[in-house]
Amino acid sequence: MAKKAKPTGGQPTGKAASRSDKVEIRKLPTGVPGFDEILGGGLPEFSFNILAGGPGCGKTTMAHQFIFANATPERPALYFTILGESAIKMLRYQQQYTFFDPAKLNGAIRFINLSQVVLEKDLNDVLNEIIKEVEAANPAIVVVDSFRTALRKRTEVTEIEVQFFVQQLALHLTSWEATTFLIGEYVDAEVQENPVFTVADGVIWLSQVIERNSVVRKLQIIKLRGVSSVPGLHTFRISEDGLQAFSRTMGLAQRRGRPSRRPRLSIGIPELDDMMGGGIPQGDSLLVAGASGTGKSVIGTQFIAEGLKHGEPGIMAVFEERPEDVVRRAKHVGQDLETAEREGKLKLLYLRPLDLSVDESLQAILDSVKELSAKRLVIDSLVGFEMALAPGFRTDFRESLYRMMATLTNTGVTVLSTVELDESFTEFRFSHYMVSFLADDIVRLRYVDIDGVLRRIVTVIKMRDSDHSKDIREYEITRKGVVLTGRRLNEYRALITGIPAYWKRSWPMEDPLK
Amino acid sequence: MRPVSPKLRKFARRLLALETSGKAAEAGGSAAFQVSEKLRGPLSTLAGVAGFRSLLSRALALATGEVRWLTAVQVKRDGSLECLEDIRAKLSPREVAEGEAVLIGQLVGLLVTFIGETLTIRLIQEAWPEISARDLISETEKDHG
Repeated sequence: MAKKAKPTGGQPTGKAASRSDKVEIRKLPTGVPGFDEILGGGLPEFSFNILAGGPGCGKTTMAHQFIFANATPERPALYFTILGESAIKMLRYQQQYTFFDPAKLNGAIRFINLSQVVLEKDLNDVLNEIIKEVEAANPAIVVVDSFRTALRKRTEVTEIEVQFFVQQLALHLTSWEATTFLIGEYVDAEVQENPVFTVADGVIWLSQVIERNSVVRKLQIIKLRGVSSVPGLHTFRISEDGLQAFSRTMGLAQRRGRPSRRPRLSIGIPELDDMMGGGIPQGDSLLVAGASGTGKSVIGTQFIAEGLKHGEPGIMAVFEERPEDVVRRAKHVGQDLETAEREGKLKLLYLRPLDLSVDESLQAILDSVKELSAKRLVIDSLVGFEMALAPGFRTDFRESLYRMMATLTNTGVTVLSTVELDESFTEFRFSHYMVSFLADDIVRLRYVDIDGVLRRIVTVIKMRDSDHSKDIREYEITRKGVVLTGRRLNEYRALITGIPAYWKRSWPMEDPLK
Repeated sequence: MRPVSPKLRKFARRLLALETSGKAAEAGGSAAFQVSEKLRGPLSTLAGVAGFRSLLSRALALATGEVRWLTAVQVKRDGSLECLEDIRAKLSPREVAEGEAVLIGQLVGLLVTFIGETLTIRLIQEAWPEISARDLISETEKDHG
């Protein structure tokens, strides 16, 4: 008879180790905003990493951000320079960044020039020199810049010798509990063949992609042992603060569910609120689509102004107009945005460089939402937004919008986006981009030709998870903004084509609105 | 040639004084050589021997425009200085001191130009910890102010 298995008493069973048995890998902050999220929490301590890419990609700056974020006098950073940029020049330029702290120089951060050894001696001497300095300083971080130069000069060394050198270096630096960056200029094809990449725990690749006249910087974690990094290409920007990275899955990882019952926000037009079943459910994304001059921006302004009346801070991300023009236009429809902006209850974000990435724009909007604890957000317009992007990002704009809307609504902010449509008198489109799926709610504005007069009509196309009016109503843009006039236009058919027919009477057409 | 500013000259004199205080200049050498030699360590570590040598050569070239006898001084391959003794022997102590102050002032001035006052002082502090940031910053601020 088979014995019944007894539960084991806390000893390892020989099967997979439980979570508590595993060694904890501490993750070091990189000092690069957004990059820790991409790395899965930070750079693994004691890892041996390659920081690769072409000239001008920001490799040295990224390494500097890392050392300034982590080096201490007790566990300093050793920065070995070889035959690349002169250290004096490097310091001259790097100190322009805000992260550069001169107080750390020659205490927490030490620069050591190895060019003489590299030029006059062999790989073994280079290794010994690094080891000597490491043993003397007990560094937490070691950077070799440019590592490639140390190897390139030695045309006579074999691949095995290079691999041996790298292995010895990795072995020694890890034993001395140092987290290492080897900086080098490599080309893509080398990842497959170069032995350095085999030895490395992490390979971070920086690149510059040229699309027409725009340059977009991207980074990729090719390899990173011990942590779950975010795969794919992530954009980054270099400003006076150094590198800032934007994860391509920004905000999506922590997606949260929506409560089943949510309060509704007034759009600032009571009749339109009624048509939407009582306003916009809080946290929804509403798309207002229509041709030029139909009042999309006016509705956006009324939505923001209504929130301000109720003490709800708002953000307007504008791409087509300057903030002062937005404020001036708001005045024409009776809304005072200037005071709210001055009081810090409203932020007008003007995002118009032509080489933006969706992620950068999203980050700027998210930062503003967080800063103001904003409840309402207007993006005016998606067409302007697309134009502000570098050409390379326009090709996957639809996917990017999906990520953006998901991330924004995940913060709880209610988003009203406008989208301009070319008015067609044969079809009734919702947007250029087939993006209607990403909006929870859609309001469509359009021109109709009634009795030789161009009028405006509004209809609610979609309210996700709630009932709404199917009426088609006429509206006007007045000194008070968009105002719905009259009743449902039930005397006409084919209104949504823009060329309706009066169906209760035969020609001549009688205008029921009069 | 760009003359060394009075304030940098004063700062250089301070370094020279610190180096020679309580001891005579080493036989066959000078205070400037000792200051330069002391800076050679941290600067060669930072910029490499070649980097230090080129900085010192530039400083010497600038200083020679002001003090003619410095043409007798040369920068050796390892970044150290040497001077033709027979020329130096003909100079008065005041002329020697002036030339040394100009040479060191130009070297410090170059560092300030490239990496700024704060980082320059941190490098100099490696050799002379008693030098404070205020010594150089206040001097150069007055220069530019």
